[in-house]
Amino acid sequence: MGQSEAANAPTDDVGGEGEDFDPIGTLTLIGIYFAILVLAWVYIYFVEFLGRDLVVVG
Amino acid sequence: MSTAIESEPTFVDKFPDEARVVRAAFMSSFFALFLGAIFGIIQTLHRTDVARIIPSTDYYTVLTAHGVFMVISFTIFFLVGLFTWALTRSLDRPLINIKITWTWYGLMAAGMTLTGISILAGFVDSIDMSADVLYTFYAPLQAHPLFYAGLAVFIVGTWIAGADWFRTFLAWRREHPDERIPLQTFMVLTTMTMWYIASSAVAASVLLFLLPWSLGFIDQVNPTLTRTLFWFFGHPVVYFWLMPAYMLWYTVLPKIAGGRLFSDPLARVVFVLFVLLSTPVGIHHQYLDPGIAEGFKFISMTNTMFLLLPSLLTAFTVVASVEYGARKNGGTGLLGWLTNLPWRKPAFTGMMLAGLMFAAGGFSGMVNAGMNINYLIHNTLWVPGHFHLTVGTAVALTMMAGTYWIWPQISNKPIYSSQIGLFQVVLWFIGMALMSNAMHAQGLLGVPRRTAEPEYSGFDYPTMFGGFEELNIQIAIGGTLLFVSTILFLGNLVLTMGNPKVSGLAEPLPSPVSGAEDAPKVLDNLRLWVSIALTLVVLAYALPIAAIINRGGLLGPGVGTYPVWVAPLFDALANAAATLLGAVGDASAALAEVVR
Amino acid sequence: MHIHAYEKLWLALSIVLILALVGTVTYGAVGPGVAMVADSQSTVDPGALDEDERFSEPRVEQVGENEYEAYVVAYQFGFEPTPIVVPANSTVTLHVTSRDVIHGFEVVGTNANTMVVPGEVSEITVETDEPTEYGLLCNEYCGAGHHVMEGKIHVVSQSEFENRGGDSE
Ligand code: HEM
Ligand SMILES: [Cu+2]
Ligand SMILES: [Cu+2]
Repeated sequence: MGQSEAANAPTDDVGGEGEDFDPIGTLTLIGIYFAILVLAWVYIYFVEFLGRDLVVVG
Repeated sequence: MSTAIESEPTFVDKFPDEARVVRAAFMSSFFALFLGAIFGIIQTLHRTDVARIIPSTDYYTVLTAHGVFMVISFTIFFLVGLFTWALTRSLDRPLINIKITWTWYGLMAAGMTLTGISILAGFVDSIDMSADVLYTFYAPLQAHPLFYAGLAVFIVGTWIAGADWFRTFLAWRREHPDERIPLQTFMVLTTMTMWYIASSAVAASVLLFLLPWSLGFIDQVNPTLTRTLFWFFGHPVVYFWLMPAYMLWYTVLPKIAGGRLFSDPLARVVFVLFVLLSTPVGIHHQYLDPGIAEGFKFISMTNTMFLLLPSLLTAFTVVASVEYGARKNGGTGLLGWLTNLPWRKPAFTGMMLAGLMFAAGGFSGMVNAGMNINYLIHNTLWVPGHFHLTVGTAVALTMMAGTYWIWPQISNKPIYSSQIGLFQVVLWFIGMALMSNAMHAQGLLGVPRRTAEPEYSGFDYPTMFGGFEELNIQIAIGGTLLFVSTILFLGNLVLTMGNPKVSGLAEPLPSPVSGAEDAPKVLDNLRLWVSIALTLVVLAYALPIAAIINRGGLLGPGVGTYPVWVAPLFDALANAAATLLGAVGDASAALAEVVR
Repeated sequence: MHIHAYEKLWLALSIVLILALVGTVTYGAVGPGVAMVADSQSTVDPGALDEDERFSEPRVEQVGENEYEAYVVAYQFGFEPTPIVVPANSTVTLHVTSRDVIHGFEVVGTNANTMVVPGEVSEITVETDEPTEYGLLCNEYCGAGHHVMEGKIHVVSQSEFENRGGDSE
């Protein structure tokens, strides 16, 4: 529990190297998530919801 | 980590008084979790018809207890403990007056005890008191006055807690006029700002309407108005539960992963967005309410959808921070780095699994937010399916996982068993995957939530996704695993408390890759955000509330009073129904015997 | 403030997603014409439903060619009328109110689902197809007997409906 955070200098390492870090793995994972979201949404809205009886029209 | 850290003092070494408060808050929280889990398993086995050990009329007492203990006491007591730790730690200064701190803790504990008594008294026939109104307490169902009074005291306790933290921050500010607000403190202050705005409405509802009404000072209330005031509070409260989890994901998870937070400025942006957007959305819980114009519902939906943004950003920032840690530890490849993570640590695995479940909950949340698709799932079991992913796992599992990391530092006692911890968090994930998935599926069949016996005499559910009965089995198995997991967590913690004290348990938090100095100064301007937030709230709510009062009157269009705490009629009905159902149950059991 | 390019990309995708969600819901409203329960009906005194022309006699009545109106009262713990009998291939506007506490009105397995609040009238219009039977249940906790609160909706052929005298009692 060091001094207050704002005054904390990075101690352990990679220092400025952080700037070069490209989170390509994160982008991949989140891209997959995005695709699942879109597909699941299309299914639930158009098939499950609009495909049911007694759609409320007024 | 190196030997240098061994000499480093832990939180409890530096702030023993604050650490005691944090421990007390956590213990209250876990006591509530324990009670909540007992009621959780009772109702799971009851509504799935696996074991009905209570009369169905008592189901609603159990459900009220489960809801209130889980989402009011478990989550909020953990929050005040965590925030006390985070504020003190990140400001590196004690709270201004520990007596005040104990005062708010005492008020919260007293308030919750009163409310808890009023609920649990519902099990004892000889006491003329009960509060079977569920945690949403919609009028004109009426609880015993003690229920509302206890809630009011509890909320006042949280207000004083917020004031305690703000004053400590201001004291720090005088000592450090030019420094940026440390990130964790920033999170505490923004979250509490949101809480003040949100809880004012429920406080108004309780103090102006429900409490006087339950005491007999006024005859009736306007049910749409009190419902609207509840949801004014009810949506932001979900972010109040979530923010402790976000704080742990942003500030602790990257550290455990061996890395650092990817971006401090973005974390600040996310919390500011929550202050701005989490309140003017509550009407999305009332999409299917009569008496509220469609336009208001649409506005609420648009705001709600934009509220997805901070969570979607969080997903990226947190995963990127973890990836950073993995790559620093030699991780390579597009996804190969996932193997370079400390999966054996329960704190890490627990938080990651919690995050994964939150991603799934994100999907059902999108559905809940979509105005007209609400016809499909409103008040079906889909909804509890959704929030057991969010508050029931993203929040609850992160809190448990976080405890494995924090507890040693606030007590100087190492965790009793890391293996049990790991097993427990994985078990929770499996149990919840089963229970929640089957709840969503039953919801699509039309199975209602909040119902003791969701099988009806006049019709069957359509058969899809395996059918009603098969899904019931999945829910029952899932719920049982969750219950076992909770007991393992609590047992592990109790055994931890029996461990001897040791030194060298400190885990300092590293600073972010992109630090506070990179964040625009305006982000720290809380006054600005409060005024924008209030403006948005007024824009979203002034007209709907005016319209509701205009339609039904301040005290409702002649709506009666339906106490569920002193009503012989109800009791008679309840007993009759219970006997009847018991008889039917016995008869069918006998029949089943014969058939076999 | 420095934001990584990938994160900017994700931010853009997120905004696209949000707009697409709002877009889908808007499409549902203007395309298939899904409408929300709203404030179209005037309030009612729940203690004096028998004096209200809409609810004094819970019923289904014809109001035009192939157009029907149903007036339904929810109470602890049931629905009136029960069953609610409506003709096939017609447009039915349901008006539901409560005599006591808040209830739910859910036609099982369909999109007909609304809150029922005392003092307010929920109005939803649906179109029926072939003759069939639907279960009806209350999906908002309304007291100790909540789980026994159920009803039925019978969609019957036009001729069968007329034989019943157009009334559901
Ligand atoms: C031991 C693990 C748990 C089990 C077995 C469990 C089971 C259930 C079940 C079956 C329901 C639905 C009851 C119904 O609608 O009829 C329910 C409702 C609920 N649960 Fe859980 N749950 C667990 C943990 C949690 C946690 C950790 C939280 C939150 C932190 C939570 C919050 C809630 C809430 C708010 C409700 C809704 C209450 C209401 O409708 O009034 N549960 N739970
Ligand atoms: Cu909400
Ligand atoms: Cu009900």
